[in-house]
Amino acid sequence: MAAQQPIPGTNPVYEDFSRCVHCGLCLNHCPTYRLWQLEADSPRGRIRQMMLVNQGELPVSEGFVDHIDKCLDCRSCETACPSAVNYGMLVEHARARIERDFKRPLFSRLARNALYRRLLPYPERIAIVAKLLRFYQRSGLQASARSTGILKLLGLRERDLLLPPVDRRFFFDQLGKTFPAQGARRARVAFFAGCVANVAFAALNKATIRVLTANGCEVAVPDGQFCCGALPAHAGVRDVARDMARRNIAAFAAANFDSLVTNAAGCGSTLKEYDHLFTADEPEFAAAAALAKKTRDVTEFLLALGLSAPPKSVPARVTYQDSCHLLHGQKIREAPRQLLRAIPGVEFVELPFADICCGSAGVYNVTETKASLDLLAEKMAFAQATNAQIIATANPGCLLQLRAGAEIHKTGQEVLHVIELLDRAYSNSSA
Amino acid sequence: MDIALIRELKTLLGPENVLSQKEDLLLYEFDGSVEKGRPEVVVFPHGTEDVSRIVKLAAKHQVPVVGRGAGTGLSGGALARGGGVMIVFARMNRILELDLLNRRAVVQPGVVNLDITRAVEHAGLYFAPDPSSQKSCTIGGNVAENSGGPHTLAYGLTTNHVAALELVLPDGEIVRVGSHHGDAPGYDLCGLFVGSEGTLALVTEITVKLSLKAGSVMTLLAIFDVVGDASRTVVEMTAYGITPVACEMLDGWTLRAVEDFIHAGFPRDSAAVLLIEVEGLREASESQAAAIREICHANDAREVRTARDERERELLWKGRRNAFGALGRLAPSNYVLDGVIPRSKLPEALEQIHAIGKKFGFQIGNIFHAGDGNLHPIVLYDPRDTEQFKRAIAAAREIIRMCISLGGSLTGEHGVGMEKNELMLLVFSDADFDLMRRIHDAFNPDSSLNPGKIFPLSKGCGEIHVRKSGPAAASPS
Amino acid sequence: MTSAISLPIRLEQLVGSDRVVASESAVKAFAIAGRAPMAVLKPRSAEEIAEIVSFAAVEKLALLACGSRSKLELGMPPRHYDLAVDMTALRGIAHYDPGDLTVSVDAGMPLNELAKKLAAQKQFLPLAVPCSATSTAGGAIASGIDSTLRQQYGTARDFLIGAEFVDGTGKQCKSGGRVVKNVTGYDLHKLLVGSLGTLGVISRLNFRTFPLPELCGAHLAVLPTLETALNFHASLLNSGLPFSNLELFDSGFSALLSSHLKTIGEDIPESVRATGWHVFASFEGSEAVLQRITRELQKLADRAQAERSETLDLQHSHFVNEGLREAFDWLRRAAPGLSILRIALPGVKSVDLKQILDLSEPSPLRASFLLRACNVAYLAVLAANDNAQSIAILERGISALFSRVETRNGSAALLDAPPWLKERINVWGRQRPDFPLMQRVKQAFDPQNIFSPGRFVGGI
Repeated sequence: MAAQQPIPGTNPVYEDFSRCVHCGLCLNHCPTYRLWQLEADSPRGRIRQMMLVNQGELPVSEGFVDHIDKCLDCRSCETACPSAVNYGMLVEHARARIERDFKRPLFSRLARNALYRRLLPYPERIAIVAKLLRFYQRSGLQASARSTGILKLLGLRERDLLLPPVDRRFFFDQLGKTFPAQGARRARVAFFAGCVANVAFAALNKATIRVLTANGCEVAVPDGQFCCGALPAHAGVRDVARDMARRNIAAFAAANFDSLVTNAAGCGSTLKEYDHLFTADEPEFAAAAALAKKTRDVTEFLLALGLSAPPKSVPARVTYQDSCHLLHGQKIREAPRQLLRAIPGVEFVELPFADICCGSAGVYNVTETKASLDLLAEKMAFAQATNAQIIATANPGCLLQLRAGAEIHKTGQEVLHVIELLDRAYSNSSA
Repeated sequence: MDIALIRELKTLLGPENVLSQKEDLLLYEFDGSVEKGRPEVVVFPHGTEDVSRIVKLAAKHQVPVVGRGAGTGLSGGALARGGGVMIVFARMNRILELDLLNRRAVVQPGVVNLDITRAVEHAGLYFAPDPSSQKSCTIGGNVAENSGGPHTLAYGLTTNHVAALELVLPDGEIVRVGSHHGDAPGYDLCGLFVGSEGTLALVTEITVKLSLKAGSVMTLLAIFDVVGDASRTVVEMTAYGITPVACEMLDGWTLRAVEDFIHAGFPRDSAAVLLIEVEGLREASESQAAAIREICHANDAREVRTARDERERELLWKGRRNAFGALGRLAPSNYVLDGVIPRSKLPEALEQIHAIGKKFGFQIGNIFHAGDGNLHPIVLYDPRDTEQFKRAIAAAREIIRMCISLGGSLTGEHGVGMEKNELMLLVFSDADFDLMRRIHDAFNPDSSLNPGKIFPLSKGCGEIHVRKSGPAAASPS
Repeated sequence: MTSAISLPIRLEQLVGSDRVVASESAVKAFAIAGRAPMAVLKPRSAEEIAEIVSFAAVEKLALLACGSRSKLELGMPPRHYDLAVDMTALRGIAHYDPGDLTVSVDAGMPLNELAKKLAAQKQFLPLAVPCSATSTAGGAIASGIDSTLRQQYGTARDFLIGAEFVDGTGKQCKSGGRVVKNVTGYDLHKLLVGSLGTLGVISRLNFRTFPLPELCGAHLAVLPTLETALNFHASLLNSGLPFSNLELFDSGFSALLSSHLKTIGEDIPESVRATGWHVFASFEGSEAVLQRITRELQKLADRAQAERSETLDLQHSHFVNEGLREAFDWLRRAAPGLSILRIALPGVKSVDLKQILDLSEPSPLRASFLLRACNVAYLAVLAANDNAQSIAILERGISALFSRVETRNGSAALLDAPPWLKERINVWGRQRPDFPLMQRVKQAFDPQNIFSPGRFVGGI
């Protein structure tokens, strides 16, 4: 291969790999190892492959790409790792390397290009696609597609269920607004609205703002903010991710706030690691690190702030599925659970293996549908066994996946973001 | 490797259960130890019959066979030292029967240790052996290595919790030993096979004994300014008839590294901490905890804390469980040793380890099961520096020699494997080896199962019988 | 092959004249089923044992090691029996480190003497086996006889941490070590437990010791039926209360127990003598622990509607515990012709158990029943008299019981029986599928087959 472009952002060094003493404690925490029991699809095996590739001892082969693609990047292995291997950084770097060095099959290249380079960076295109999708969902097309069984025939039934239901009113029009605190102002926060969330989770975003303002937060939704870059960063499309980071750094630089709050664990995890996208000698590094430092997941933020508005009773048996990028990416386990426990009437039950990914993992459910659905099936079996009426989680992607799971496996369970449940507890008070 | 064998294996198991590409095999040449050994083909059986057929095929082609669970072992027990076929039991991971009434579970070898407990905890039961890898390691590996853990002090090793085994012998014969319920007349073959490190037979089904969870657990953390005071406390507890279920010790250097990482609340300026756990009826654990506090204070403990709830208890244990990793962060890699001394010799042993570290130029951390004298010194090194690695190995050997000279043993729970087979000479005589060899040969006469393990090769009594057939034979590179 | 006349002389040359006894009266004391060895040797060291075994291996002499000879009749009488090796001269403590809770003793060490030494350090060995007045450590291990404390402390295999022994080639071997946690090499010492001396001559044993409990207590409940007694027994097992011993026995057994206790001469707790199904539980710990357990036991007994529920004081607890510990010994002496079966039950379910134990067919046999901890049961069976018809009935009854146990995946063995019954019934029960592996083990340890040939399972 000709002289290669260096991979932008953080590049791992020898110690980052050798810190893995191949003890194997990660194996059973890895969703793909649990599915297939293959070293090559385990964190330990992937680290070894990445190390050998990094040292030039293995080529960036089809097999290597396959094993790295199959990683959910859920980072469950990081929680299990006694040696504190920074797996997320390694795998995201490996994907950037694949993006640079490996020529994918044509269809895959086109699809990746369309998503990461032609869609995500353009909010107006997201809106157009969303409108088309909404037309499909609302016009009866989806209903007829589902009822005629054509989707099943095309092998698309489950994929169809995984599509986000598009909102009637997008959240885009809320950008630039500021929502006053109810009662005495306890904090001023900037709200991170996300990308797809603007068209599919407008209600969640609004609920988040209601909960924050109810607890004395003035909430600014700075204009000019952008997709956080998680999806391209996880896919190894680093240049796009870096570009998005730059735009967000600029957008939030103007706003004056105590914390940057997000309700998407995946975005939060990426925002908190914005500095990884740049090397220390790059001009953006300091600002990226500063923004990262201010970023809080909404559950983390609320727990630290303390609920000043007492929630009213929501009588329900509730379980909680950890969002990987909250638990493993941001090491936040207790905050969402404590918020749920703070709601009177909620009978909280732990979900067995809540720390294992539900299979959503960004676009994984689209790219690796079979694996994703296998994970989801196991997840829903455990969820059903809890007899919970509500499954709570902390990330839009997980919400979509679990809702599809409840539908596919007919568990009859409602799937809500922790904040949506909290919002329901507050709206009960006004009712 | 014989292409024909690979083809036959694929026919037998389906191609999805056979790995023979170099890039795949590379991932099976290591386990949790510092040893290496690459198989020539890796297979995934789904049942006992598969295992028997694989073994027969391997015998036909005269290639060795080694079993492997999750590959979390720390002595190279599951590495293919002689190449050949590696049987990975990870897909034989079903719990076959739960007999809660008689407190037994029948499981396949690939079941993860902790998953047994997860399956029975609703009935107040659990599987007692708790190696620190229990979330990943498999019961088959536990049986092969006779694994222990922090709570071995009170509840014993794996061997104390196995009632029966189904085995596949090197000729493919399937046999069952032990009995599901009571103990049947005859030799205690389970006792022989558990801990035989896969050198006598492959285990394909295990009947484990389940234990009833204790009523009350109390976890204490005692903080000391002088290491000697902590080790004396351990010795004195024994003298006072106190029987903690776990008694773990971390030295000052280690606990500082842990604290920086875990924030378990270990004071950074202390010289050692003891993590002590008592279990039983509330009345018993409370009085034992009170007595422990008294002894700690009599030995000049700075402070003795008691975990107030499950969360605090978890945090203290997290500090202990992640200790190796925390130390590992200080260097590119680390080597965890495993030796045993009589617990009364703790103070002396710690001094000697310090001296050995100094001699070889290493700072050696100490994390160990103090209650049963099971030391786990950890040597930090850089694998790129081969000279340093050699020194690390030399230091390790000297520490093990010291353990033996104090009346202890080579290994308390990691096993001999290919890490310590040469050191066996420190403990056993020619007569001992002769008998062990006769036992070995009674089951595994051609050394076709897990060759090159346990027995010292230098004695010529553990030679690797690898008779490769055909020109296709490849040597692991 | 040497002639019998020159053998004692050659043995004297080997180990010294003071170590060899060959007089008729002396060797008679070592007889099994009426058959005495040609000579008895009394080695003073492991080296001497090795010399004796080497000699025997060369000369192809069958050899049997023994301690106090209290359990010589276990198993089948050996096919050949030339030499007895009296281990009682090897009775020292090799190492005792109270701080380590480990002790290393010579095989001929009497258990009661060891108990005294350990008690001085407030420790003990939880090997509560019958014939405790004379039993040696080596004998207790080789016989594998049950300890009443196995409920809490497990069997010998759980606290035997190492052993030294002489194998069938006359070499001194060892396995395990003197530390409580050790996975170095094959656990050969575990094979010695219950091997009846067929694998080697044990010279030294290393044990883990335990702190002596502060106090002991016991409780005896009497229930009307087997079902109610088993339910109560199960409720105790599931209570999470720590019992050192937990036994269940019938009226027949309790009557025998009473008469045994009478011979010791203390006053016998009333509930022992009562008719019905007895559940005996003993426990240990501090005053507070004992009070708690007693309280809960009473509650559970009330709930089970026990006819009697009696908490025994310290003295009576010891008294009854010792009586139960000695059960094997006084049972076999209770009546001539009595047979004792040891049954490893396939789980304890009341209906099943009743079926298994039913000795009413072909015609009723008198039996007493004891369920020891961990699904191990003892059954003492008596023929009506010793005429041919009774013997045939006994034989058929016991054979039928063996097969009932075995078809349910349990196992049974005849621990003690008159010689005429041993000739008719395989005392070890049905051959189990792992028997060929046992033969391989035997062959590895004792290639010349000189250790107690024929005494063990399947004629090993």
